[in-house]
Amino acid sequence: MQNQPGGARSNAPSSVAEAVANLEPGVEEELARYLPQLDRMSEQLKQTSAQIETSVVGVCDSFQGIAQRARQTVARTTGFLGQQGDGPSGKRSFDGLIESCGQTLVKILTATEEADEISRRAIDRIQQMDKASELVSRALLSFAEIARGNRILALNARIEAARAGDAGVGFGVVAVEVLSQTERSQKLTAQVSDLIANLRQLAGSTLDDLKRMNEQGHKRTEQSRVEVDESLRDLQAAHGEMKEMLTGMTEDGALLATDIGAAVRGLQFQDRISQRIAHVVEDLGTIHARLTTRFGGLAAGQSASDEGFSAYTMQEEREVAGMGVAEAAGGEVELF
Amino acid sequence: MRQMVSFTLRQGGYEVFEAEHGQAALNKLQTVTVDLVITDLNMPVMDGIALIQNVRKLPAMKNKPILMLTTEGLAAKKEQGKAAGATGWIVKPFDPDKLLLTIAKVLP
Repeated sequence: MQNQPGGARSNAPSSVAEAVANLEPGVEEELARYLPQLDRMSEQLKQTSAQIETSVVGVCDSFQGIAQRARQTVARTTGFLGQQGDGPSGKRSFDGLIESCGQTLVKILTATEEADEISRRAIDRIQQMDKASELVSRALLSFAEIARGNRILALNARIEAARAGDAGVGFGVVAVEVLSQTERSQKLTAQVSDLIANLRQLAGSTLDDLKRMNEQGHKRTEQSRVEVDESLRDLQAAHGEMKEMLTGMTEDGALLATDIGAAVRGLQFQDRISQRIAHVVEDLGTIHARLTTRFGGLAAGQSASDEGFSAYTMQEEREVAGMGVAEAAGGEVELF
Repeated sequence: MRQMVSFTLRQGGYEVFEAEHGQAALNKLQTVTVDLVITDLNMPVMDGIALIQNVRKLPAMKNKPILMLTTEGLAAKKEQGKAAGATGWIVKPFDPDKLLLTIAKVLP
């Protein structure tokens, strides 16, 4: 006992040995009952430390996987957009596709314009053919006129032959033959005129169709050109937006990797906790060893755990404490 | 753990109200209307069983689903929860997709 200022005397022991020596009867047995509890606490702490480490390693692996996949996705898409012409795998880049699309559209327009040109030339030729057939028709009219003249002549010759009597018989025969030939040529001329008229009518309707087709084709070509130009402009604009988006994604991806790196560093708190737990386990072991040396033989068979000392609910806790096995595993769902 | 469950539920499109323990949850239920309660078993102040018993006394919560999310796997404890009025029992660790499926099942 020590003297305190003011003359009062304290009953506090001066050392652990003194405290142990002065223990009241029964306290040693009471302390001995808690020895198994110390052992279980150590074991629980060790298992907890191991579980934390396993979980943290798993989370870190997941984070690394996320970062890796984010980087790969951005790299693939950036590569696709950034390549010019054909990429290493032989596939076209987006730029290459736009260029190719534009070239194809121009080819289609060019082909359409060439078709327009061909139909214009066809129109010209038909117009020329129409002029030629008009000339033929005029020639046939002249021919018909001549034939008419010949007929009148032949008729007059027959009249004169009849007047000439016997001397005119031969002349009359010739006149009749001339008349017959003239009539034949008139018929032929009429047939040819009809044919020419039909041909001119066909040519006329064909010409009308071609003109109409050419006109419509020209309008469509012009309209298509405007639409193609607009589409190409829209495609270029969309491409530009995509590039911007991907640039943003690349930056976000870099930030994501930074964030994940920070998270992985933060998760390494488990190392500090594991060390501290290991120190506590060591201290508990020391206490356990010393108390066992002092009280180990006392209160055999009795344990403090029967007093509801801890609220163990997890299977692994119960296993350490020897309290029985849980009947449902983690993740199980039961609806009543 | 409460934050992990909240995160999962919010990802599933649900509005979430949190409480640190059973009594705080009961107090909150006096002022907000919810469609579902998820509770742990071991909580300070008021444990999960007591919470379920009290929640079932609230007229608005008489027939609403209440799920127990706990590390406890003993059948006897499950029976206790069922008798108190729990709708279902989920043993931790929970699978987020399974949790959302279970919630979708019990919600009307």
